[in-house]
Amino acid sequence: MSPLHQFGESIRNLLLSVPLPAVRALFVLTLVALLIWVLRLPELKWTACLAILIQIIIYSIF
Amino acid sequence: MLTYPDYIVIALYLIGTLILGGLIGFRMKTGRDFFLGGRQLPWWAIGMSLVATDIGGTDIIGVGGAAYNYGMAVANFEWIGCVPAMMVGAFVFIPFFYRTGVYTIPEFLEHRYNVVVRTILAICWLSFMACNLGIMLLASAKMMSTLFDWNAVMCILVTAVLVGGYTLLGGLAAVVYTDMIQCVMMIGGCLLILVLGLIEVGGFSELRKRVDEAQTRRAADVALESGVGAQAGSSLESSDESASRQHSATSLILPVDTPSPFPWPGIYFGLALILSPAYWIGNQAIVQRSLGARSEFEAKASYIWGALLKNLIPFIVAVPGLIALALLPELEDGDAAIPSLVGSLLPVGLRGLFVAAFLAALMSSVDSYLNSAATIVSHDLYKRFVDRDVTDSRLLMVGRITTFGLVVWAVVFAFYLSSLQESSGIYTIFQTLMAFFQGPAFAVLLLGVLWKGANGRAAIVALLAGIATSVTLFSLNQPWIAEYFGWSPLFRIQEPFLYFSIWAFLVAAAVLVILSLFMGKQTPEQLKYVFSNQEQILSDDGEPPSEVSSGADL
Repeated sequence: MSPLHQFGESIRNLLLSVPLPAVRALFVLTLVALLIWVLRLPELKWTACLAILIQIIIYSIF
Repeated sequence: MLTYPDYIVIALYLIGTLILGGLIGFRMKTGRDFFLGGRQLPWWAIGMSLVATDIGGTDIIGVGGAAYNYGMAVANFEWIGCVPAMMVGAFVFIPFFYRTGVYTIPEFLEHRYNVVVRTILAICWLSFMACNLGIMLLASAKMMSTLFDWNAVMCILVTAVLVGGYTLLGGLAAVVYTDMIQCVMMIGGCLLILVLGLIEVGGFSELRKRVDEAQTRRAADVALESGVGAQAGSSLESSDESASRQHSATSLILPVDTPSPFPWPGIYFGLALILSPAYWIGNQAIVQRSLGARSEFEAKASYIWGALLKNLIPFIVAVPGLIALALLPELEDGDAAIPSLVGSLLPVGLRGLFVAAFLAALMSSVDSYLNSAATIVSHDLYKRFVDRDVTDSRLLMVGRITTFGLVVWAVVFAFYLSSLQESSGIYTIFQTLMAFFQGPAFAVLLLGVLWKGANGRAAIVALLAGIATSVTLFSLNQPWIAEYFGWSPLFRIQEPFLYFSIWAFLVAAAVLVILSLFMGKQTPEQLKYVFSNQEQILSDDGEPPSEVSSGADL
């Protein structure tokens, strides 16, 4: 096994150790961070928030 | 499968599209009209055009097929693979590009870096777009030949003449307004299948139940095969597969060891954080239509409207794949799922509407790549290297001649590909090739816009280092190369292009940062094109604030 394969294997094992509920939380929190960023933009904001909220609901359910 | 009422629906749609494109074409006067729609395009038309361009003819069938095979995880490409990047594009990058008055992303990169970066990326994008035109024509013609028993050669020729005709006459304005109609056709045709399919299945809850039953049956089949495989001493792939089968077909997040091409690290790091922003912020075919908006505000609004529409797309193109899984669970080929569903659900006349939706998806992608490739040839190559003082009306002629040349090239390339013995995997190979340079190109663009320290010479090395990384990873993943060294392939999933893009981006970004720290900053003129200095760019009339120098600023 080459050093590149060993490096890949260690990353794969690290990612395998992350439980899927934590991954779901990562996806949702990323979208929440995006929502907060849009809300804080100085004076489209509401349409953008609607699109992101739909995403948050989708990734919370599926 | 199709009858006269179906053909009447298809003919009406095609004639309507051609008339609209032709009418717009008669109003073309200058190169600016042709390449940017005279900067008079409304936000609502651009937003729908963005969505239509993103969904190709093969996607209408292919996304449903992928949902049939792997479940809803394919929807990530339309949801987290679009919406966040479109938001960042709308509020940060698109207004910035609009204000600089550029026609193309490579042109922006010359303002920010140098002519070499511009030329490398212009050639990369042009090569990809030109080849993709032929591939889209061929892949869709093959699909039409299989589904409707149409002659594939005639499909290629008719599509090329129709799309080439209105794009050559009307430029970006014709592309955007016909895309708008095509977006409506596409959504209408797919919505029809979704509604009739859900009625047939008995609603969403019944669909979920029947899909889970089909998944359980599949898992049992795989477990049975796994037992046989274990006896034969080769159970690795089967056990991987059964790991994936434990997850519901409606799950968006798949584990690392899924045999599908959609494991969550690839989706999150490769798609959401790299390939998606690279596509929505750095792809000329996408960005160009927003640069043709009536104002900076409308350019932003077009992206927000597009993002809102994007929320709908997986429901109408991926969920029908799950409906097919519930109603027709025994299909061998996932790509047969949607056509089989259309055949069993839609009555005469309405099948024509679905075929029109398929053609709309195909034409809306081909016309956009055609117009953008012509823009790159005209602006980044002809105007930059052949005739720097070219008049706007002459540039219009160059654009039209280039469009004609690209149509001829696309047809010839499609015929060449069809003559190859094994051309079915060509589409996937070219998507992988796009991932080779999209990651590094995005690293150079992102750091160029956000960081004053990014240096032009470092950007050239970073681009090449990123592309070399992709090529190396791709090579080490080829079974015959790995076998030569006595290794196993580097990645375990099919089509690991999402992983290539992560590493290519990271290597390009690291090289750019490290070398820039040693090479020093760009000139004050070039640093105007950094986001934090954008108030120095005074042009809001659509013209570049200054002509770029001739490469001596390397």
